[in-house]
Amino acid sequence: MATTTSQVYIHVIEDVVDKVRDDFINGGPGEAVLSELQALWEMKMMQCGAICGPIERSSVPKTVAGGAITPVHDLNVPYEGTEEYETPTADMLFPPTPLQTPMQTPLPGTVDNSMYHLPGPNDYPTTPHDTGGVPEVKVGRPSPYMQPPSPWMNQRPLGVDVNVAYVEGRDEVDRGTSHQPTTQDFFVSSGKRKREDLAPHFNTGPYIPQQDGAGDVNLEGLQAEAIGEMLSAQTNMASRIPQHDGPIPDGYEDIITTPGLYPYQGVASEDYNAVNTPGQDLQTGTPAVITQSEVGDDDDDEPPLNENDDDDDFDDVDQGDEPNAQQLVLAQFDKVTRTKSKWKCTLKDGIMHINDKDILFTKATGEFDF
Amino acid sequence: MATFELYRRSTIGMCLTETLDEMVSSGTLTPELAIQVLVQFDKSMTEALETQVKSKVSIKGHLHTYRFCDNVWTFILQDATFKNEECQENVGRAKIVACDSKLLSQ
Repeated sequence: MATTTSQVYIHVIEDVVDKVRDDFINGGPGEAVLSELQALWEMKMMQCGAICGPIERSSVPKTVAGGAITPVHDLNVPYEGTEEYETPTADMLFPPTPLQTPMQTPLPGTVDNSMYHLPGPNDYPTTPHDTGGVPEVKVGRPSPYMQPPSPWMNQRPLGVDVNVAYVEGRDEVDRGTSHQPTTQDFFVSSGKRKREDLAPHFNTGPYIPQQDGAGDVNLEGLQAEAIGEMLSAQTNMASRIPQHDGPIPDGYEDIITTPGLYPYQGVASEDYNAVNTPGQDLQTGTPAVITQSEVGDDDDDEPPLNENDDDDDFDDVDQGDEPNAQQLVLAQFDKVTRTKSKWKCTLKDGIMHINDKDILFTKATGEFDF
Repeated sequence: MATFELYRRSTIGMCLTETLDEMVSSGTLTPELAIQVLVQFDKSMTEALETQVKSKVSIKGHLHTYRFCDNVWTFILQDATFKNEECQENVGRAKIVACDSKLLSQ
């Protein structure tokens, strides 16, 4: 069974969490902290793109697309043919009757028949189901497509209200027309929006409270007050969030910045294995680093690594970039050999981070020319 | 049991280290417990690579630098090609860090 990189990582995360659970519960901070650790770890991994999709404990299904949540009512709207939640423009919702229809002011319930007669002699003998920009095309031409919606909308069917809801009633608030009381009733009674939290707080006045904090000028005092409360509540909440970038407790600064440099070990950052072989057995033919008189030993056990002996100009070019952008292979080696200038190595159990991708391998063979 | 801290430099290891750092800074976690988690990560990662991964890779390139110190080989390659069953990647510069596999079995 070929497991993807993402699946292996998820397995590792779960394995680690399971194994440390006992340590957390017995005398430790508890299960909740462990869950938080796991959640944060997984979130960071997803941000890096190392794991993908929603994490299911049993499997990793693909993210289900939102699907066509097209409300049925949209199909009934003659002029809404483009997007699901496209809010009709203000003109379409509340046709300024004198502008749109110089012929006749729209009267609810009585307009339909009369307006349908009109397109006969005109350019568009089509049915009102014609989509597109007919309503907003020309002044002076009767827009029968505008009229049917008006009486229909006056009845406040579900669809239009939902559309308005998605723009948080901004249009309606700005308009302040007579349609608002009916809209307001809808909002109070639907209870399906998150606004339902606010609806009980505010008396159902001729407005719709906004959640985005941008108060309109022509709001009444009560609404402005309420919004002010909301904003201040949000600000208070924000200020109560403890900062994580403040002063660092003593003794831990090194740990934060240098992974692997924990005080109990006292090893240099270059030391990848905790197996400190006593009396370092350096094999022949290797650049031996035995005794160093350099200032600034990293620790007591290991001699300095003499990093500066390398080609500084070549190495610095890459160190200037983010370390994460570096193409890195971490593995274990079985054998490294050299014949003249040809190097061969066999590696195992490695993680490669190349071209922003993580690739795992169980065996690798390398051939390099020096 | 000894572990290779090598894998802490990988993406998954760095994410874990950052998470642990944040939690220790905020006091949610003690440093000792954080270190225990990292050690467990070393073990779990090593085991997962042995058991769950099946793919093989071949690497070719020009060796710019080699270093062997403390039983750790570090190679810096130029114009390297990494090939496995599914795909091939070319990079201008790559760094390989490899620990001695025999040390874990000691």
